Amino acid sequence: MNHASQKAWEAITSLWLTIACLAVLMVLVVACTLAQVRLGLLGAVNVYMRSWFFWMDLGAFRVPIFPGGALVGLVLLVNLVAAQLRRIELSWKKAGIWTVHVGLVVLFVGEFVTGGWQVDARLAFEEGETVDWIQIDREVELALVDGTDPAFDDVHGVSETALARGGTVPIPGTPLSVRVKQFHRNAQFLRSSPIDPPAGVDRGAGVGVAIRPLAPVTSDDFMDRSAAVVEVLAGGQGLGTWLASNAIEAPQTFEHEGRSWSLALRPRREYLPYSLTLKDFTHDVYPGTRIPKNFSSLVRLENRKTGEDREVLIYMNQPLRYDGKAFFQASFGKDDTLSILQVVENPGWLLPYVSTVLVTLGLLVHFAIVFRRGARRAVPQES
Amino acid sequence: MNAKRLLPWIAGALALVGALVAAAPRQPVRGFDLEAFGLLPVLEGGRVKPIDSLARNSLLLIRGTQSFRFEDPSTGAKRTVGADEWLLDVLFRPELANGQPVFRIDDTEVLGLIGLPQTSNRYFSWNTLAPHLAEIQRQAEIAEPIDAKQRNRFQAAIVNLYDRAWIYYRLQNTLQVAGSPGLLVESASAGAPGASQRHSMLASLAHFRPLPPPEGRGADAWRNVGEALRAAAAGEVDPGLAAWGRLGVSWAAQDPASFGRAAAEIQAIADAQAHRVEAIGQTRHELAFNRAQPFYLGMVIYVLALLVLFGSWLADSRKAAASEGRGWLDVLRPAAYGLLLAGVLVHSLGLLSRMVLQDRPPVTNLYSSAVFVGWGAVLLGAFLERRYRRGFGTAVAAATGFASLLVAHHLTGDGDTMEMMRAVLDSNFWLATHVVTITIGYSGMFLAGAIAIVWVIREHVAPRLDPATTKILSSMVYGVLAFALFFSFLGTVLGGIWADQSWGRFWGWDPKENGALLIVLWCAIILHARWGGYARTRGIMAMAIFGSVITSLSWFGVNMLGVGLHSYGFMDKAFFALAGFCASQMAFIGLAYLPRQFWKPAARRGGEAAQEG
Repeated sequence: MNHASQKAWEAITSLWLTIACLAVLMVLVVACTLAQVRLGLLGAVNVYMRSWFFWMDLGAFRVPIFPGGALVGLVLLVNLVAAQLRRIELSWKKAGIWTVHVGLVVLFVGEFVTGGWQVDARLAFEEGETVDWIQIDREVELALVDGTDPAFDDVHGVSETALARGGTVPIPGTPLSVRVKQFHRNAQFLRSSPIDPPAGVDRGAGVGVAIRPLAPVTSDDFMDRSAAVVEVLAGGQGLGTWLASNAIEAPQTFEHEGRSWSLALRPRREYLPYSLTLKDFTHDVYPGTRIPKNFSSLVRLENRKTGEDREVLIYMNQPLRYDGKAFFQASFGKDDTLSILQVVENPGWLLPYVSTVLVTLGLLVHFAIVFRRGARRAVPQES
Repeated sequence: MNAKRLLPWIAGALALVGALVAAAPRQPVRGFDLEAFGLLPVLEGGRVKPIDSLARNSLLLIRGTQSFRFEDPSTGAKRTVGADEWLLDVLFRPELANGQPVFRIDDTEVLGLIGLPQTSNRYFSWNTLAPHLAEIQRQAEIAEPIDAKQRNRFQAAIVNLYDRAWIYYRLQNTLQVAGSPGLLVESASAGAPGASQRHSMLASLAHFRPLPPPEGRGADAWRNVGEALRAAAAGEVDPGLAAWGRLGVSWAAQDPASFGRAAAEIQAIADAQAHRVEAIGQTRHELAFNRAQPFYLGMVIYVLALLVLFGSWLADSRKAAASEGRGWLDVLRPAAYGLLLAGVLVHSLGLLSRMVLQDRPPVTNLYSSAVFVGWGAVLLGAFLERRYRRGFGTAVAAATGFASLLVAHHLTGDGDTMEMMRAVLDSNFWLATHVVTITIGYSGMFLAGAIAIVWVIREHVAPRLDPATTKILSSMVYGVLAFALFFSFLGTVLGGIWADQSWGRFWGWDPKENGALLIVLWCAIILHARWGGYARTRGIMAMAIFGSVITSLSWFGVNMLGVGLHSYGFMDKAFFALAGFCASQMAFIGLAYLPRQFWKPAARRGGEAAQEG
């Protein structure tokens, strides 16, 4: 190994780097916490934690002025692994330290997996209702629904990614295609005026409306008002241009070749290969107060493929884990007849549990070793 | 010699005897058996409690104290009015209670609004407020829709005053319509015009439910007087109505004998239901707990321990200067340790009582976390004292125990400290694991900080520094930090696992989670800096003190930030206390880096430096 790479290796494995990373992480955590008042939880986490750098606008340039959480996490991970490899000392005296650090690696990996692959969704159903889809609030899709057959809806979705890309999107299995003229994650609707020219909508609820794009919201308490201006085409022939938005509640419909279609921009739905039926929702309060004592949903789970048909009680701290997803009791409404479940899919959900056990055991072993040694060395003090 | 070995025990026992005396049942007040009244079970805030708890919490909520001095208009003499007596007056002698100064108003704008002069007197009576109630209500209704965190000082203060006035008003209209002849007359005139309106008014205003569920109803089906009067009009007469009616009449007439009989009657009616309503049996325990105020007693004993210990050190330094024997040192230090153990015992009994009464793990809210942080720190300090002697363990244990109980004492202002748990927190398993471990972590951090402060002070005031003692302090800090890291880490990840179980995510960067993480990170930094040899004794000590700052911010600062799932509510008075604490810790850090000779006259510095070098 030459001198420079020797130096680099020493730097990567040094305890100084560990301490520096921990300190930078502390700064980020403080900044992230304070920023939540302004940016909302998710916004602050995206800016400080789930980013490689913290950026700042200096004049016309965006300059990275501070490492972000992801970068620090990665450096710390490399430092951790490298240092253990360099100071390789496979002795029982170090067993505790080894276990702790392996556990920490697992914890870090878990956070990266969560950041990259966790999907949050929602499932809302009223008592007696059967639902086989979940709704992902953070993404929208353009849904084209063929509702000709009253017993059955044929749903075709255009994803948010496709909308953002623009251009013409064919709808497979139908004669239709959609030309995306405008798409905004968040927008404001105005009556058109000389300053705000109309968006060119000629059908449906959005005729004469002007659209002013806005920055997406970051606070958890607000939702984006997304807008898509789309022209529906059939065989190269335009059927009209609509404004689709999750803010428009009334259905927008059109007819084509004897089939009736509706068009809507709504939170993305993911269909499940099984269904859930809300049999009963209960919500108790402590006597004479409005303090909630408990909420629970009694749910029937049916899976045609596997032939499963059973009842599940979902309540606080007692989720249903099924098919890689976890269903949690999140909220309720409509005079205790509507139950809202939070649905989380995280392939790494088990990693923190593993890590906890490893680090706890490791710390116990290590401190036990250190203090036994300390006790043996300790000189009896004056009493 | 034997007497000396017994000394800690004697000191401890004396403190415990003092505590027992303080906790003994009260003598009748002016002939009235208020103990019997205080025991009566009522349901309020979702749980059954002795009416003494209700009285204390209500007075605490309205006035901020559990008793007050008042000049009795009949005798003209000033005397202390306790919570039970105050409540009886509110319930049955409103004309007297309305003249008592129980509403504390600090905000000058609120005082201005109701045209009261700004004097040193901050306490006002209902009669003083009465002409301005409409305006108070109007202003409160303007402020109410604004989110509690966004309200300005005036808005917060006016809403607070209105809430307190509302509770007072409801209390007055719980057992009888305020100013009416009383419950006996009310029961007798069920058919009179306007009776059903009055019943409805009582049913909707009642602040507590005094009538235990009749046979055949569920254990939660306690009734208020209005509901029972309605049922009585329909033919189902609750025996409790007449008994409470007689209690009211006898108090209004100031007749101790029939007051005692009525209280016994109400108790007998409740006791008859005790076999199915378990909580009724617990009121005796809770009454004893209220009376004993174990955390207040603990605080007093810790202060005593601290004073005795300071005495021993003072004696020590004198002796050292005169190089005499160590007589006083041998007496005072063990006595301080004995006192500390007595304090621990009282503190532990109080915690245990709360756990039994609530049927919960020790930490359920911010108040109990303060009590528990102190308890953990004291226990750890007592252990250090056993291991190292020297008195440092006693000192830091007593100081942190006292400080945390003081903090707890100031957190009682929201009323019942044993309130019911919201559904999301209602899990004894997670409260017992996550919350308790993380709180023990706090104990460790504060204790390490306290030991480091002892080191700093010793650096500056001790007549001479022997390296052995420095080494002991240093290994104490290291041991306690390792302990704190373990519990903070475990508590933090257990919190993550609880969150994963409730909300489906392990880690959400929620402020409270971040606070816990900061403690873990800081602890890890200190320990790595020590292992790497980057920080020596002085550095470690300064960092340990800063650990207290981080811990206090994580514990309380997060609640002031007012975002996130975990927020308990905004507390502005606490903000200044927290800022003061942090500033004091920073001052100690500064002191740690001042050279020892800083205080000495320049002439002596040279000599000492030569000596030490």
